[in-house]
Amino acid sequence: MHPRVLLKNRKSGRIATIDEYRQSGGYQALENAFVKNDPPPGDIRETLLEARLLGRGGAGFPIGKKMSTVPDNAPHPRYLVCNADEMEPGTFKDRVLIHADPHQLIEGIVLAARAIEAEIAVIFIRREYENAARILEREIQVALGAGLAGKNILGSGHDCELVVHRSAGRYICGEGTALTNALEGKRANPRRPPPYPTTSGLWQRPTEVQNVETLCCVPHVISNGAPWFRSLALTENGAGTKVFSVSGRVNHPGCFELPMGIRLSELIEEHAGGMVPGSRFKACMPGGASTRLMPGSMYHLRLDYSEMEKNGYRLGTGAIMVFDHKTCLVQAAANLMTFFVRESCGWCTPCREGLPYILDLLKRIEAGQGRAEYIEMIRKMCGHMKYSYCAFAPGAVAPVQALIEDFHAEVTDHIENQGCPFKNRQSGENDAESHY
Amino acid sequence: MMPNLIIDNKKIRVAKGTRVIDAAESAGIYIPRFCYFAELGAVGACRVCAVKFIDGPVEGIRMSCMVEAEDGMVVATDDAEAVDFRRHVIEWMMMNHPHDCPVCDEGGHCLLQDLTVAGGHGIRRFAGKKRTYADQYLGPLISHEENRCIQCYRCSRFYQEYCGYTDLGVMGIAQRIYFGRYKDGVLENPFSGNLIDLCPTGVYTDKPSRYTGRRWDFERTTGVCTTCGLGCSIMVSARYRQVVRLEAAFSRAVNGAFICDRGRYGFSWVNSENRPRQGRVAAKAMAPQKAAAAAAGRLDSLAEQYGAGAIAVAGSGRSSLETLAAWMDLCRRRSWRGFFFDDLAAAPAAPAAVSGLSPENVVSMKAVESADMILAVGADPLGEAPMLALAMRQAWRAGAKVFAIDSRDLEWPFEFQQVVAEPHEIVDLLSGIEPENEIGGNAGKHAGKMAAIQDQIRHSRFPVILCGTAIVDQSTALAAAGLVKRLRKNKKDTRLFYTLPKANTFGGLLLDHRVQPPDELIHAMESGEIKALVAVESDLWQNCTDRDLLERALNGLEFLCAADCMATELVSRADIVIPVSSVYEAGGIYVNQEARAQWSAPAHAGGTPVRITGAGGHPPRVIGSAIPGGDMPGAWQAAWQIAGLAPPAGPGEMLEWMTKTYPVTAPVKTMAAQGVRIFPLQ
Amino acid sequence: MLPETYINEVEKRLRRAVHPREIIIDVMLEVQQFYGWFSDEALEQTARLLNMSPLEIEELATFYNYIYRQPVGKYVIHVCDSVICWMIGGYESFVEHIQEKLGIRMGQTTDDGMFTLLPVCCLGYCDLAPALMINRTIYGRLTAEKFDQIIEDLRREK
Ligand SMILES: Cc1cc2nc3c(=O)[nH]c(=O)nc-3n(C[C@H](O)[C@H](O)[C@H](O)COP(=O)(O)O)c2cc1C
Ligand code: SF4
Ligand code: FES
Repeated sequence: MHPRVLLKNRKSGRIATIDEYRQSGGYQALENAFVKNDPPPGDIRETLLEARLLGRGGAGFPIGKKMSTVPDNAPHPRYLVCNADEMEPGTFKDRVLIHADPHQLIEGIVLAARAIEAEIAVIFIRREYENAARILEREIQVALGAGLAGKNILGSGHDCELVVHRSAGRYICGEGTALTNALEGKRANPRRPPPYPTTSGLWQRPTEVQNVETLCCVPHVISNGAPWFRSLALTENGAGTKVFSVSGRVNHPGCFELPMGIRLSELIEEHAGGMVPGSRFKACMPGGASTRLMPGSMYHLRLDYSEMEKNGYRLGTGAIMVFDHKTCLVQAAANLMTFFVRESCGWCTPCREGLPYILDLLKRIEAGQGRAEYIEMIRKMCGHMKYSYCAFAPGAVAPVQALIEDFHAEVTDHIENQGCPFKNRQSGENDAESHY
Repeated sequence: MMPNLIIDNKKIRVAKGTRVIDAAESAGIYIPRFCYFAELGAVGACRVCAVKFIDGPVEGIRMSCMVEAEDGMVVATDDAEAVDFRRHVIEWMMMNHPHDCPVCDEGGHCLLQDLTVAGGHGIRRFAGKKRTYADQYLGPLISHEENRCIQCYRCSRFYQEYCGYTDLGVMGIAQRIYFGRYKDGVLENPFSGNLIDLCPTGVYTDKPSRYTGRRWDFERTTGVCTTCGLGCSIMVSARYRQVVRLEAAFSRAVNGAFICDRGRYGFSWVNSENRPRQGRVAAKAMAPQKAAAAAAGRLDSLAEQYGAGAIAVAGSGRSSLETLAAWMDLCRRRSWRGFFFDDLAAAPAAPAAVSGLSPENVVSMKAVESADMILAVGADPLGEAPMLALAMRQAWRAGAKVFAIDSRDLEWPFEFQQVVAEPHEIVDLLSGIEPENEIGGNAGKHAGKMAAIQDQIRHSRFPVILCGTAIVDQSTALAAAGLVKRLRKNKKDTRLFYTLPKANTFGGLLLDHRVQPPDELIHAMESGEIKALVAVESDLWQNCTDRDLLERALNGLEFLCAADCMATELVSRADIVIPVSSVYEAGGIYVNQEARAQWSAPAHAGGTPVRITGAGGHPPRVIGSAIPGGDMPGAWQAAWQIAGLAPPAGPGEMLEWMTKTYPVTAPVKTMAAQGVRIFPLQ
Repeated sequence: MLPETYINEVEKRLRRAVHPREIIIDVMLEVQQFYGWFSDEALEQTARLLNMSPLEIEELATFYNYIYRQPVGKYVIHVCDSVICWMIGGYESFVEHIQEKLGIRMGQTTDDGMFTLLPVCCLGYCDLAPALMINRTIYGRLTAEKFDQIIEDLRREK
């Protein structure tokens, strides 16, 4: 059994109460930080940095490092934004975390706010998570009642106001700077630094944007120390646990908290119940829809930021989407691209126009109208996406890039035989899989 | 510290803060751009300005509009990867573009067309469908064709951020981005015509000039807008002997890249069917020279009968400096009663304005944008000098505080605080502002607000005092100058800006500071002292508030002669009409409110538009060797004709004559493209 | 017309807000709730409430997918068409079934004004794929039968 940290209070069918959270050691770190000023804000930042806690929202940026870019003399009020937008396809860990143990997130937010001396924290939550939003609103009241948030926390003289902001949709709102625009009542186009949000973000004030899971880690790191947190991982450079959302052709899709550095094979076979009967593993996306498809040759890769980066992959949000041998990856890529085409904010040209172009080519290939030169066109255009305005478009083409590189034969089959091999072949007998 | 960098092997030194795209342009290297427009800033949306940074603080492919030049940068605009990326950007933009260049009004002067060809995207590869949009009605001046849009966001940024209006913007998301209004309707922004100039393709095109020709069909030249006293730079297009359209022309000191709609569209009079194009004596049409000779005869005999003092000239600041000089001098030489200046009816404080400005305290409109505090007294820029309001808005956007002392309901496209005071109260309020002491004078009930203004002035680095000349009198204009003087004495770089009603209000007063106001003229006409009036491009009728009085005064005249290019009330009442060329045909020098003399070049030869002479015939022509209506003199030439003398042979000789006769005008001889400032001789 | 009490409440919130623009989305969603969809009237009403131009509201309304600028039924069925639901649910045939059951195509509303069908991006319930959301309630692990049952229940409830 691997130790569980973030999901240890998870109960089936109900949320953990504040008492349950307290009994498991919750709010201890907060009390110490506010009442005894132990650790003081600077040490919180230091500990988070030492713990190597990397952002779980997709980019994997060290939270301690981000916090250290808030200038000491920066003006107030400062903001901490909890990013609960979670619209990356395949990702649902933040929802599970909120439903399991909302006070863990609340404590994480208040502590992180303390670290940068922010007095306002905004939880930006997607429209589909209405239940989670209501849970948070209710439990925030409980926390306020217990003096753990709001004005003059535990008599310390420090404030942290908590606001729940419901989004009205759109994936791009999850991008940290677009989110800032959304909160300001503007169209949610991203903003390009400089200035960096930690200097001038929401309402031109220092703003720290962190993912739900990242913030959930914070109380544990502060309570148990950086060495403990690092030791949770199975890899040398890793740290902590990771909540993986597993979906697709596995027997038990769901959220699994496992040590950073767990092997993909172990995750699928021992925790997600293995592949569904009659299905064989063909590929998976390791970190949501904007990460590269991993072929079978990567089946035993350790899921950890640096391990994966060494192999050309990104852990992203840790959303493992598993595809089996009966799934056409050209179709899957077209489906993913449809998502990105629809959700592009429309600000810059490569993303707004280039992605639909790529989608058009993919659909043609899938429909049996592909031409050999399309592959080169796709490759070029995907390659150019890194010059778009924000990280949306490069992420959008990651699966397609993997498709034409690692599943080249499947694509050329579509083109050479003028049709989708998965549609022509009946049942399991003549599996397309044998070719690839 | 001025960064040194290398772009395409050229060593370039630029001012700190210069963007790489502009640094390249300064060295003659043009990097493609759609969303970038200097006045609007860089936003990095279109991605077509990508270049490769080979060495230095930044490396790899970056948008040249988003990177400031730094020491040690080595940039290649012709890097293969960058070129290929840019070609793709264009291809992406063209996916949904309707390719309707042959029927598009932008065709031929379209940035998208140019860059598509230049980028090497010649053959369509995208086989998918194009998205299409419904267009909107945006009013009588601007056509909307959204299908052509390439989403550079210039229009919405200009409209909302730069101008502060909120009825046009960007809607939709992803590939369904739509620029337009909430619903069809006339655009509310009085600067909306700039959308036409700004749009890099044909989404917004000029409606009045539709179907009049391609850009290369036009005779084009830069001129000066004569609609108000600011003298913005314009580009005039003419065809078939009529003005087709005006656009903004770039002027670093005056208007930057934009003009207002009043200036852009206020030229229809020049093509009007009713414009005087033939000489007329009583009801009889004749050549202009003959009409002038007839007028000369009448004036001579009237002078003999009543004395030269019974003859007067009325003129206005819409005349060129040459015209004003010619007629003022004629009055003087003939010892006529004098030259009466219409503008003094519209702007009684104008003489004080002209005497208040000096090389030290003057400020250009563009420099108003860098003010950090503006105090406007008795001035309504949006009404009196629209582009000034836009300049003030830019100052406000950069953090300037704006105050107004005025009795009117002012609506400006930015925030300001107003002290509601009657015009006659302003002098007291201004003289109470002290650079060092407590607020003095009789601020009375305004004491609180005036103290705030004084406080702001004290804490600002570069305040500008803006004073109107229409609703306030001379003492107010002098008080504004006095305040600036006090502040400057206190080592504060304070500047002075007056609004003036006409393109040459300043010029007229420069030539003759004691030029007389028209009410004296009207009284002298009514009392019978003046028997003959020559109205030279005069708006006497328009500016007069007591029409009955003017009616009686005009009826008392024995002779009214009008020399004009506009169909004015005076022209229709005149006994003799001498038609004269317009500024677009004759050109001329105009001195704006900051003493800047600028040359407005003629755009086309004078003559009756083919539309009129051709009368719808095909081909539209009259047989003859001369241009029909081409014998109109310039308004300054008419002064010599009426004196029975030969005018200076051409603009060169005219300039010679003017600078000799009016030494104050001497600097125009060295006038550069940006014009030259001329102050009254001390 | 919006109830007076709501208008007063928004005005109170606006007066309290340090940055009035931060409540725009809330107000838009609430006004939409009242009108059933974000009609022109709703939009103009919102603009007046927030002291903004209708265009400024439209700029936002057309950006977000949960602001409906066209009439919708009492129940808006957002069918997830992202990759996991597509793969697990057999998207084409599942959507075909839904459309047949309701007698409308994607983007349409039933004649009785009960149901509107809209495709939507990943709902964040991939573990329950195929999933859909009706108004703000999520339904997962759907089958044709289960879907029919949900519709029947909603029809009965009215
Ligand atoms: C297109 C796009 C969508 C994103 N969506 C989310 C999201 O839904 N939730 C999230 O936490 N981060 C999202 N991110 C990442 C955020 O920009 C940001 O990096 C993150 O919220 C920072 O928190 P972390 O450091 O704790 O991960 C997104 C990024 C991009 C480019
Ligand atoms: S953003 Fe565009 S025009 Fe703009 S300059 Fe850059 S990429 Fe260019
Ligand atoms: S793919 Fe449908 S809910 Fe995730």
